[in-house]
Amino acid sequence: MEEERDVVIETVARVMIPFIQLFALYVIIHGAGGPGGGFQGGVVFASAFILYIIAFNLAGGRERFPESINTLFSSLGLYIYAGIGLLAILFSLGAVQYLNYGFIPFTTHFEENRALGMDFVEMGIGITVMAVTASIFFDLAQKERNGKEGGKGD
Amino acid sequence: MNGLRIIAIALIILLCGLFIYIAEDIPVFGDPQAPPIKAVKLFTLEAAQIMPFLDQGLVPGKLSGELVKRGFPAPLRVEKVPDTEGEWNASISKQEPHYAPEEKYYWIRREGDRINVLRYAFVVRWIEKGLKETAVPNMVTYGLADYRGYDTLGETTVIFTAGVSVILLLRRRSRL
Repeated sequence: MEEERDVVIETVARVMIPFIQLFALYVIIHGAGGPGGGFQGGVVFASAFILYIIAFNLAGGRERFPESINTLFSSLGLYIYAGIGLLAILFSLGAVQYLNYGFIPFTTHFEENRALGMDFVEMGIGITVMAVTASIFFDLAQKERNGKEGGKGD
Repeated sequence: MNGLRIIAIALIILLCGLFIYIAEDIPVFGDPQAPPIKAVKLFTLEAAQIMPFLDQGLVPGKLSGELVKRGFPAPLRVEKVPDTEGEWNASISKQEPHYAPEEKYYWIRREGDRINVLRYAFVVRWIEKGLKETAVPNMVTYGLADYRGYDTLGETTVIFTAGVSVILLLRRRSRL
């Protein structure tokens, strides 16, 4: 399939994608201290993939972020979230405190544990949102292309 | 043409200035004493019956009786709100792990010869104690990920389910 290439768009995208991803990580990590959080950061990270597909092509995007890893990531975030909750059950020793991060001994301080637990949970949310948003976009784009090809075949 | 542009820019600047001037006088939205933000009114009592107890820092028996009759926990301790006249906080005992077993729960206010008994909304604890209890300065984050952690887990599950649904509907191939 012949595709038109635009030097300006490709160059700008090549420069911007790393910065978008860095900003997404910043938003996720600083969810506790400033504005931001897992949902927003995940969507910003997925927008980097979307920019890549728009500027380059779908096949290259699929090569860099394959289906298997995408599907794995979309459940990995939830596993991290629920796993932190299960760790809290294990370490609270009898007093069943699901998702009460204070009991997980990251540090010796109860409140610091809660803050760190929140950070890990935000990372889990970010991974799931990023993978699901990218997955939906890939699927929609692929469907459109397949439909066109099917039309030609008929 | 040029004169028109200059007039338009001047008008825009004038409108911006007018907006800022007016916006400064708009009061803050909402009622700071509204039930979801501050406290819910439960009932009123005669001031003469329970004022002497409150002044001494004791829990009046009539107040406890009225609260228990309505299905609320009886207060453990009453203390005056600092820097106010005729306002008291009442604490109840809470079986929460790690933290002190007392929580500020009722707000007793005098109005004339009546005494209003109010229950603090959860937001009051959220605002006043969040930073101390979670060591996170962002109020939204400790609400989202800690106090309402179950809710966020459910939201993430909804997003995951939506993603899986799209995969199943749009991806024609059999493998996931």
